[in-house]
Parts: sequence; C-alpha cells; structure tokens
Amino acid sequence: MKNRLKVLRAERDWSQAELADRLNVSRQTINAIETEKYDPSLPLAFQIAELFEMKIEEIFTSEKRK
Amino acid sequence: MNRIYQKLAGKPIALFSGLAWVVVYFLVRGLLEAYQFTEGLRVVVALIPIIPFAFFLVAALFEIRQMDELHRKVHLEALAIAFPLAMLLLMILGLLELVIPLSPDDWSYHHVWYYLPIFYLFGVWNAWRRYL
Repeated sequence: MKNRLKVLRAERDWSQAELADRLNVSRQTINAIETEKYDPSLPLAFQIAELFEMKIEEIFTSEKRK
Repeated sequence: MNRIYQKLAGKPIALFSGLAWVVVYFLVRGLLEAYQFTEGLRVVVALIPIIPFAFFLVAALFEIRQMDELHRKVHLEALAIAFPLAMLLLMILGLLELVIPLSPDDWSYHHVWYYLPIFYLFGVWNAWRRYL
C-alpha cells in the first residue's frame, strides 16, 4: 500500500518520534509505515487519518488504484 | 493493580526476569552436578527454575501487551519461525535416534533447549529485517 505519511509529517515539521508519540506507537512503526514495509491496522489507519484531519483514502492508496 | 502496571511500563522486566531464570537454571544445574542430594530433594531442586520462569512468563506477557502492533507482529512472526524449527529439531533427533546412537552427553534435553531461544532470536531478527 502506498501512503503520504512522510509528506504529511514533513508539512507539519514533526519528527518520526513526535508522530509516534502522538499516535502512541514506536518510532520504528512510523518508519516502517513511511517506507511502505508495513501496512498499519485499520484502527491505526483511522487514528492517523484523525490526527491529520483527512480521510483514510487521502493518506493511503492501494497499489491497484494507482 | 493499575499503579503497578504504570510503574512497570517501559521497564525491561522481561529481560531481567529472563536473566534471573537463566542464572537460577545454571545454579541448579551446578548444584545437581556438584552435590549428591537424596532423590526426592534432587527432584525438588531440579524444579526450582519453574519459579523464575513463571515470573519471566508473566513479565513477557505484560511487555507484549504494552507493545504496539508492529512489535507484536514481529514477535508473532518470530514464533511462527521458532515453533516449526523446534518441531523439526525434535523430529530429526527422534528419527536419528532410531538410526544412530545419540550420546546423551551431547543431545540430552539440557543440551537441546538452548536451540529454542536461538530459533526465537533468529525469528525476531528475520522479522525485523523485513520491517526496518
């Protein structure tokens, strides 16, 4: 799955550790999502969308829909 | 109870209790090899490592419950590798036992169990390699 997490985080000038704190996950998890090595669970994806005040599909897109 | 959880959160309690378990194991092994207790007492002494292991198990479960989803996935994948490898090792040893005499000096239970944490650590390493 593709995602815009790195761009959105950079726009807000947050570090990976800062974003991890806000989402109550580890920095490694943020890094793995940003590098697209790990797809977050649905609850975490919702949490991310709520934090950035966006819809999930504005942050995450499937490879097929690209 | 919640206060205890909050105090312990973030501390490597599983690591310390795991170390305590291993230390107790080697102490017990040393005692059993060095002293000739009565048979009943030898059985009691041999079972002593169950106590620190119980603490380790509770601590490990506590730590896993504190982990985020990626860390839990890594440990699940580690188990998915370690468990079949452990089965394979025991199966192969069982089959070899039918074919060649396996020396208990090399292949008794207290030699074989070392492989299990090694398999688990290999599983953790392999999983992290995929996600980092």
